[in-house]
Amino acid sequence: MKIHVTGIGWVTAAGIGRGRRRDLFAWGTGELPALSRRELFSDPYPRFGRLDDFSRLGLAGIALALADAGLDAWQQKRPIGIVAETRLGCLATDIAYFDTVVSDGGALASPNLFAYTLSNTFLGEAAIRFGLTGPAFVANSEGGREIECLRLGIDSLRYGDCPIMVTGRCDLAPPRNIPIPDGHAGAIFLVLVGGEEPPPGSCGEIAWDSRGFATLDGVAASSWEELAAARSGVR
Amino acid sequence: MKDVVICAASAVTALGDSLGESWARLLRGECGIRPLERFETSGYFSKVAACVPDLEPGRGGSRLTTLLERTLGGFAEVPPESLLFLATTKGEIDLLELERRGAEIDPRRLLSETVLGEIRRRTGVKGPGVNVNAACASATLALGRGAAAIACGDADAALVVCCDLVSEFVFSGFSALKALSSDRCRPFDAGRDGLSLGEGGAALLLMERSRADREGRPVLCRLLGWGAAGDAHHITAPARDGCGLILAVKRALQVAGIEAQRVDGISAHGTGTVFNDLMELTAFRTLFGDRKVPLHSVKGALGHTLGAAGGIEAALAIRSLESGLLPPTVGLRHPEPGGEGCVSAEALTFPGRILLSTNSGFGGINGALLLSREEAR
Repeated sequence: MKIHVTGIGWVTAAGIGRGRRRDLFAWGTGELPALSRRELFSDPYPRFGRLDDFSRLGLAGIALALADAGLDAWQQKRPIGIVAETRLGCLATDIAYFDTVVSDGGALASPNLFAYTLSNTFLGEAAIRFGLTGPAFVANSEGGREIECLRLGIDSLRYGDCPIMVTGRCDLAPPRNIPIPDGHAGAIFLVLVGGEEPPPGSCGEIAWDSRGFATLDGVAASSWEELAAARSGVR
Repeated sequence: MKDVVICAASAVTALGDSLGESWARLLRGECGIRPLERFETSGYFSKVAACVPDLEPGRGGSRLTTLLERTLGGFAEVPPESLLFLATTKGEIDLLELERRGAEIDPRRLLSETVLGEIRRRTGVKGPGVNVNAACASATLALGRGAAAIACGDADAALVVCCDLVSEFVFSGFSALKALSSDRCRPFDAGRDGLSLGEGGAALLLMERSRADREGRPVLCRLLGWGAAGDAHHITAPARDGCGLILAVKRALQVAGIEAQRVDGISAHGTGTVFNDLMELTAFRTLFGDRKVPLHSVKGALGHTLGAAGGIEAALAIRSLESGLLPPTVGLRHPEPGGEGCVSAEALTFPGRILLSTNSGFGGINGALLLSREEAR
């Protein structure tokens, strides 16, 4: 089965970008940009402002990718799945939540924060927002293999789990008091579709090779930057 | 598609350190939900949980290390090249609790990859590993991923390990959500009022049939089908019409290539919350019509073991298929309307050929597995 990338969206310290606009992807350095509802969604979405930072970042990445693929508008729920790689997951939310527990023997534990202490909760938010009923899970790979999510997304299509997969990664910067090395802060998601012929506006054909590399139009990549370089023709 | 079989299974629960002991006590209708002594519960809605007895912190300070030690101790030899799937929602969350209370910990242990490393150390598995986090359907999805990889020929062995702890972190959260039962939970009972938390671990070795035969491995059961789907409805509450669960089961039936009428029994998620159990009964009625398919939930005995639930329940399902018995739904007094004739406080006999196991979780995710008895060949 051939698999095509039909949309890309990201939020990194270098900015917010989309694949079909031919924005140039980079992780950048420093703080992630502030995410406003108006920049990401055309209609009112008051829940967005109430999400924890991790969920807001992940949902933004998914929203940008779906918009890039022309799949952000919907009327009926759709069998689109999501797999999101993360290293730290919702650790920052875990800390914020448990601090509400410690402060008063649990009497003031925040139910709102607790709902976001599962790394996959933002996938549920995305499913609700965009009507996605495919399989959805968060993956934690070893050593922060940052494009591992592509293999998982490609496999989901090969296994016939659903016809379209949104796959990517999402991580906040490590909490200041818990220094965990390595890894980029930000979110990047791709929309993957199976089919012999490339759909209109395809950003390229993607595969996973036996050496553990992603290939985009035949060019191997082991990182998001290399994948972006493969797309722009920079070798 | 290649035939996927389960060759080895272990489980550690509040009712025992082995699958056999857990099964035997479950069948006797025993309950592992007891007053909590692990942390102070005076500020919480419930005072009980199903803790694994004598589960003390291990090396590095987490109880998860000890749980893994018991789950994997004496487990079958695992092929080193096996794929590795972990299913845990919160991993070594007890270490985060310690850190927030001022203790010094190794921060890398807050990452799930550390648990994967611990499993590798204990089993010698060298193949690619990943933690699957799909809330309380984590193990079910992990088993489905492992099975799909084998069925498609990507691998011929996969080890799935699932584990989660009873922690103040999770207990306080469910208490704040008012999702805990004030007493021991009563799945599918008309008077149920919430769930009881539990902890446990399970390990299952999946293999491609011909390899299992070639190596003379015991075939405990076949994994016929798997499916996962979302409700796209609410992040903590299930869709009342069971739409996501229905899709997940239909997908599992499609993978298995069987019709719904072939399902002989159900190991339900059955948390004991008003909405989950009602949602499941609604979904099963949609899927199976007026046919009274025997069903049970283990959570009245073992508590809700979160990400581990689907793995523990799959391991117990093997015993159900072997014996033709569905364990009692502990805590049941008066079945929820719609559950009469399906669910019982006594063990139920069923034909024991094909069992459906289902789980659902936060984020609106649902998972389904179809397991079948290994027929004499």
